[in-house]
Amino acid sequence: MLELNGVSVRYPGGEQEALSDITLTLEQGEFVCILGKSGSGKSTMIRCINGLQVPTRGEVRWDGRPLSKMSEEQLRKVRRQMGMIFQHFNLIPRLSVMQNVLTGTFGYRSNLKNLIGWFNDQEKQQAKQVIEDVDLSSMADRRVERLSGGQKQRVGIARALVQQPQVMLGDEPVSSLDPGTSNHIFSLLEQMHRRRHLLTIINVHDVGLAKRYATRIVALKAGKIIFDGKPEQFTDREYLETYESQEENGKTKNR
Amino acid sequence: MWFKRKNLVTVLILCLLLYFSMRLTEFDLSKFRDFRNMIDFLAQWFPMDTSKLPGMISDSLETVGMAFLGSFIGLFFGLPISFIAAWNTSPTKPVYHLSRFALSFMRSIPEIVFGLILLTALGLGPFPAVLAIAFHNIGVLGKLISELVEASDPGPQEAMKAVGSKNWFAHLFSIVPQIWPNVLSHYFYRLEVAIRTSLVLGFIGGGGIGQRLFNDFKTFQYSSVSLDVLIIMVIVIIVDLLGSYVRNRVI
Repeated sequence: MLELNGVSVRYPGGEQEALSDITLTLEQGEFVCILGKSGSGKSTMIRCINGLQVPTRGEVRWDGRPLSKMSEEQLRKVRRQMGMIFQHFNLIPRLSVMQNVLTGTFGYRSNLKNLIGWFNDQEKQQAKQVIEDVDLSSMADRRVERLSGGQKQRVGIARALVQQPQVMLGDEPVSSLDPGTSNHIFSLLEQMHRRRHLLTIINVHDVGLAKRYATRIVALKAGKIIFDGKPEQFTDREYLETYESQEENGKTKNR
Repeated sequence: MWFKRKNLVTVLILCLLLYFSMRLTEFDLSKFRDFRNMIDFLAQWFPMDTSKLPGMISDSLETVGMAFLGSFIGLFFGLPISFIAAWNTSPTKPVYHLSRFALSFMRSIPEIVFGLILLTALGLGPFPAVLAIAFHNIGVLGKLISELVEASDPGPQEAMKAVGSKNWFAHLFSIVPQIWPNVLSHYFYRLEVAIRTSLVLGFIGGGGIGQRLFNDFKTFQYSSVSLDVLIIMVIVIIVDLLGSYVRNRVI
């Protein structure tokens, strides 16, 4: 269980809080899509969950334990239970699909083993399995920069899955992909979500995808939650409220 | 559209700089009226004297050895230092500033000065030359690679952190594959420079083909000098070819 308790983030030099007073409880098995305009705090929120961003106020609790009280070592242990995929995939260039997926096991292994790059049969088997799960077996030895965007994101998913995660975080994982590929990635994420009973939390711009796949939608605006509910409750009204620009807001007020 | 005041001023400043540089360096093409002297001198270089070729070859191997060892030690220590001298991977601010300062200090001492100092302790020979080249190259490669580290894509590092790996490990593993081809091309360039440096160090008693060139010159054996120069040119070209071959294989 993941709890955000009054989480706020203010970036150094930022006038406004990027995230202000977010309180949410997310349960295992939920597929949560976070909607909001660029700059609404979606990314910041996702990054708070696995401690890549430290909240200025408030706290994030994982299984009841606050991340802020954890040592670096404990935080690493939490992170390895949370897979993360990114908008720009963040794969390590010049390495193969297989090597990239194997880096997903780094949180579990000793530094020495990682340094010399020795993987045991079980780790290799796991990597092979997740590569098969994302349907890239035929490209396992190919270098990642030679893959298409959708294939790269599948490698990203495989890298996250090999961690045997309980949580899958996605920071706009389909924002640089075409609609067909985006849909494919989402259906893959949903499939893995069900099979592994994950808590999946994905930032997305495409409301259609969110409504199709999510079991819960959270909409952010200027760092605050303005909607939290079932996908069918997210209607045109909520859509307009989420995406209307500040300027339009101003005009309405002047009238 | 190019005739703006700003551009005119730039050209004016440039012309002034050129003028003063020429004054200071006594740049004067009319001095070439003694051109014949040079021709006479160069004529003494030929035909080449190949009788000392075996000695020259073994001296060149010594030179290549000096350059390789020196620049490799430079890379070996420069690479790890570059990570603490890059703002995005340095453990703390003080360490960052300290390592930057150390690197620029190492660069600021010319190899020849370092070589001259070491000669007093280690005596004549290639060993002090190797150390001089290594010391200078730690500074140069450390600085150049730290700039590559700073320009590397932060995305993979973030992914490695998210996976739960240790910070320094995330840095190492996500950055090195990105910068490796450029590290190699810097390295091979420095190897090439090290060969030329080891020639100069040969002049002060550092051994190798440089010392032979210097001795041949001082004893007026110009027919040997010409062969020395030819061998040096061949070495530099071979290293250059080798460097681009390795780099192409790696990319």
